[in-house]
Amino acid sequence: MKDLADLAVELALKMGADYAEARYHDDRANFYVLRNGVPEVAGFDRARGIGIRVLVQGALGFTSLNRPDRGLLERRVREAISMARASARMRKKPIRFSEEKAEEASWEARVKEPTEEVPLEEKMELLFDIDKVLTDPGEVGVHVPFRLLQLLESRSERYFVNSEGARISSIVPRVEFFSMITALEPNRGTEQDMVQEGASRGWEFIRELRPIELLRERTRALGKVLREGVSPPKGPVDIILGSEVVGLMVHESCGHPYEADRIMGREAAQAGESFVSVDMLGQRIGTEVVTVVDDPTLEGSYGYYLYDDEGVKARRRYLIKDGIINEFLHNRETAAVLGISSNAAARASGFDREPIVRMANTFMLPGDHELEELVEDIKLGIYIKTFGEWNIDDRRFNMRFIGREAYLIEKGEIRGPVRRPILEITTPGFYGSIDALDKNLAFSAATCGKGDPVQGVPVWLGGPNVRLRNVRLGGL
Amino acid sequence: MEPKELAELVLREALGLGADEVAVAAVRSTSRQVRFANNEITVAKTWDSLQVHVYLAKDRRIVVTSLSNVDPGAIKEALKDLMSLLAVMKERPDYAPLPEGPFTYEPIPGLYDKALAELGEKAVDLVEEAINKALEAGGKRVAGTLAFGEEEAILLTSKNVEAGGRRTRAELVVRALADGESAGVGTTCGTRLKDLDPALAGEEAGRFAKLSLTLEALGPGKYDVIFGRPASAVFFDIVAGMTSAFYVDSGLSCFTNKLGQKVASEFVSIYDDARLEAGLGSRPFDDEGLPTARKAIIEDGVLKTYLHNSLTAKRHGTTSTANAGWIVPRPWNVVVRAGDRTDEELLAEVKKGLFVNNITYVRFQDYAKGDFSAVIRDGVFLVEDGEIRKGVKGLRLSDNVLNILSSVRALSKEARQVFHWWMEWGSPAVITPLVLAEKVGFTVPTK
Repeated sequence: MKDLADLAVELALKMGADYAEARYHDDRANFYVLRNGVPEVAGFDRARGIGIRVLVQGALGFTSLNRPDRGLLERRVREAISMARASARMRKKPIRFSEEKAEEASWEARVKEPTEEVPLEEKMELLFDIDKVLTDPGEVGVHVPFRLLQLLESRSERYFVNSEGARISSIVPRVEFFSMITALEPNRGTEQDMVQEGASRGWEFIRELRPIELLRERTRALGKVLREGVSPPKGPVDIILGSEVVGLMVHESCGHPYEADRIMGREAAQAGESFVSVDMLGQRIGTEVVTVVDDPTLEGSYGYYLYDDEGVKARRRYLIKDGIINEFLHNRETAAVLGISSNAAARASGFDREPIVRMANTFMLPGDHELEELVEDIKLGIYIKTFGEWNIDDRRFNMRFIGREAYLIEKGEIRGPVRRPILEITTPGFYGSIDALDKNLAFSAATCGKGDPVQGVPVWLGGPNVRLRNVRLGGL
Repeated sequence: MEPKELAELVLREALGLGADEVAVAAVRSTSRQVRFANNEITVAKTWDSLQVHVYLAKDRRIVVTSLSNVDPGAIKEALKDLMSLLAVMKERPDYAPLPEGPFTYEPIPGLYDKALAELGEKAVDLVEEAINKALEAGGKRVAGTLAFGEEEAILLTSKNVEAGGRRTRAELVVRALADGESAGVGTTCGTRLKDLDPALAGEEAGRFAKLSLTLEALGPGKYDVIFGRPASAVFFDIVAGMTSAFYVDSGLSCFTNKLGQKVASEFVSIYDDARLEAGLGSRPFDDEGLPTARKAIIEDGVLKTYLHNSLTAKRHGTTSTANAGWIVPRPWNVVVRAGDRTDEELLAEVKKGLFVNNITYVRFQDYAKGDFSAVIRDGVFLVEDGEIRKGVKGLRLSDNVLNILSSVRALSKEARQVFHWWMEWGSPAVITPLVLAEKVGFTVPTK
């Protein structure tokens, strides 16, 4: 079916497209689910097909198909062109793509231990071993009545071709561990903890992750919060946020609002727009210690790619540099509006999705302190290590994160657990309150959702431990 | 290959490989979408798809797959791989066999409309109508999505089930922005072209955006609130979804151990109705082939049932409610029982409170307790003495599913079918009126 991608581009040009591209995908994903010790299900999804995009009279058309049928291909390409042409009358300004080099490349994420070479029994046994630990109060110190554990392994093979001569082939294997557990303590209620860790690597990632130890430690901490957690302080405090919290906060409040398609209104119907406007480039948004980047080129990362789904070569993007709004995330359409080059942020989650502006691996660059140094001059504060509930408004200005594993800080020392501290803060309030970062950069994985129909793409979120000064915790 | 041929191939091959039980669903579809923003069409899409979904069981072990590579060779390879996977799976102590057919299915009227199936480029005219109405009503920039299409599905099982049908659907969401944060939303959906009302959706979006032109910040606190239909749809999708026995058994529901108990005020009744005429989620059979039926989920505030497939029903010592999902049972059409007041009369009952048209970004701190917060948008107003006074900004809905259910005091009498892109819990549609709830929590940022 791969050869039909080349044919699709040829056909589209013959039928009158000004630009055409086609993406062939052969995507495979295996999953294994254990729920409360029961092997709920295992299985796989195999998706193979072609997505085609055309520009006609300044309007954009997209079509996809999964049957290798030349007649069908011809019909769908013709239809994509006629639908685009019909919608051209509803455009005041024609859509254009930025000028880009027509790349020819073939790349692959390197794997030490391919997941397909690991016996299936070993994968199921790992889930059973985790469940055994979680159901042993001697191991985790708390009753865990609900346990959902999942392993996911995937491989995405893609071939991109466009009418400008770009041809890019790639293979990216990925592996992910996911868990959702509920701890219960009579008279104290429940607390839940979710873990998602993933990488564009092989089974060696799971071995290094050591999920049994990871969940044992997290569940012990959760039990302690449940049993001993006290209410958070009411007045203004200093706050240290752990890497996991910082990673999600920069993803939500820097990554998303710096997506140029949101800024220009293309996602307004669902995901929303942005409090950031094009004329805010160069303005200060945070303190001088804040630099946030998005980097698809981190080898082994969950959001790893070397060329985006428009065939543009990937590079690190500095979204906030030393506290200043520095750069947005672009695809070829939004870059053309500003008269610049794309910075390769176009991603499609599958062959049947159009490439749109996405993040890859978004993180705050670390500082040079030790965690102890961040803590030592705090008189009264909170250390929020992990989070539970979170959300942010559609302009990415007003956000809320509730701590899961959190501790009181008194007179420069981390003390006992605090239950559910609520950080409800504006985006400038967050970046403007940061005064120090430690050197411990860490990442966690997520599946970022955007678009309609929704597209979930793998990303990393990251950062160091970060200190905020003088913030009052939220809630009623 | 036709869907039926494909399904027969899978059934034959899987049984030949030694599976004890097989269910296979083959779905052929053509879907289209016209997206727009800034009063312009941004992209027009068409998807052509033939997919097959397979459930295999052997020796009380279960595996599933979804395949879009439907070449016979690829299917045979996939089935062999599934059997290898079965061999290393462990037995499910709670295994239940698929239901024994054959069954007869009463047809449901209004699920297929040729005019909608053949809409094609005329969709651009509907989009134009919606945009123009939104602009006329006060919007400055209009964005949205018109999605429509048709599908033909067939379900075969090794237990003598053969079921199938074709259907059409369309959903239009219109969001109008008047100035900065001022926004409104309107939606319309249905299985027939005549169900779509682009002018209504556009007018609502534009009107709410205009009403939001003056926005003021309010303090945190408990407010009486009227939820608009989009907001109610998102909320009752959560409620219905959380009654899926899979989520009940996974710690992802606040209805665990609450069957037969009062979980809402007496004004709340919610039904799962798969047999609704022209319902987006209507279907005569579930994924195991059982004939569907209307049932009460919550009636007069009391939780009447969880949603089951055969597996979860066995675990709970009951019978399936025909809501399979092979693994996760799910609602079909969620119908919220309407009240007896007009929208205006409901508004008149609020002395001081809020009108919240839409909610999105719902996230839970604790599913088992039901603690969550959500972003409110697209028409959030202060209501005083039964009248909308001004737009409100900066608030966040921060409360608990059970608290809100228990605080419902009245509902309006005009229920509409709503499809909402944020309905994450699996309801294809929610049919809901406006809902008035008392003393609901709202918070604000502190810095």
